[in-house]
Amino acid sequence: MMGLALCLVSGAAFLVLLSLFARGSETGSNSTAEAVIEAREALRSLQTALLAPELVDRIFAKTDLQFVRAACSRRVQEKFLSERRTIALTWVAHFRQQLLSLKQFHTTHARRIAELNPRAELVLAVDFAALLLACRILQLTLYLRGPYAASGMVRRATGIAGKVCEVSERSLAFLNPPGTHLVGHGSAGSSAVP
Amino acid sequence: MAAAAERCDVQGAVDHVRARTLTEIPRLLDQLIYLASLRDYNSGLYYHEGLADRFGPDVACQALADCHREVCRLLLACSLDELVGQMLDYMRSSRATSGDFISAWKDLEPYRAAVPVRTEQFSAQFLFSNLRIALAITEERLAARAA
Repeated sequence: MMGLALCLVSGAAFLVLLSLFARGSETGSNSTAEAVIEAREALRSLQTALLAPELVDRIFAKTDLQFVRAACSRRVQEKFLSERRTIALTWVAHFRQQLLSLKQFHTTHARRIAELNPRAELVLAVDFAALLLACRILQLTLYLRGPYAASGMVRRATGIAGKVCEVSERSLAFLNPPGTHLVGHGSAGSSAVP
Repeated sequence: MAAAAERCDVQGAVDHVRARTLTEIPRLLDQLIYLASLRDYNSGLYYHEGLADRFGPDVACQALADCHREVCRLLLACSLDELVGQMLDYMRSSRATSGDFISAWKDLEPYRAAVPVRTEQFSAQFLFSNLRIALAITEERLAARAA
């Protein structure tokens, strides 16, 4: 009788453990799928919008400022600078957010999916750290000194981000049909901000 | 295979829209508003009878969406100087008086409904910001002429 009870308890415990394990692995695969989708969206957003050279140039190049200074009243000039500062700060906030999504994917899931050698992982980690620090410095500079105060740093940051996107694109390449690229914006990050 | 054939049809329809329709509309701002006007507010789908007769409704819808995205991208790359010029010309070509036009665009912000579906949030914000500045410059120029 004692033996039967022990058997039943062991069997029930085994079943509970099995169900917990199954639930855990299901959650794990779900979170991996979510992370992959989020990383792919972040990559798309960076490559098609935030790092698009024509857009970055339009925001940070001084041609619009020169036009407004030459052709408009002080009131419009102030409105222009206020709008551009808001846009520049929004750009940095979006840029940082998408970088964080990609970093999250690389630190938690990319190793399971793509084969990166330790040296490449180290370079990527340094690039992410440098970019996130640059974002904070950019936010402070743009806030205090206006939208045209850090075009050199923007150019360098978009250049590094372009390389990070290339690595991420390779890690996410398994999602693409054979013979295609994820987004196909090789020029991302090669902005020509003066 | 079917997807590739459909993509080919869409490209054909895009070329058709560019060659037959968009070349007749001189400015990007006008093109953006024209393409937005072909989109149903409720479904987000584009309708153009002639194009649908020729290429089928699905291909026509996709082609118009592609053209809309391209025009929006080109407009985003325009300088403020160009944008002000386009806005002044668009205003003159509309039936509204300049005063009505300025107040409608300031109060109703109709351009918000003119961006393509799935435009990146930041790109849309940047376009709206540029249009707000262009509108302020246009208003100032009109006031200077009136004075």
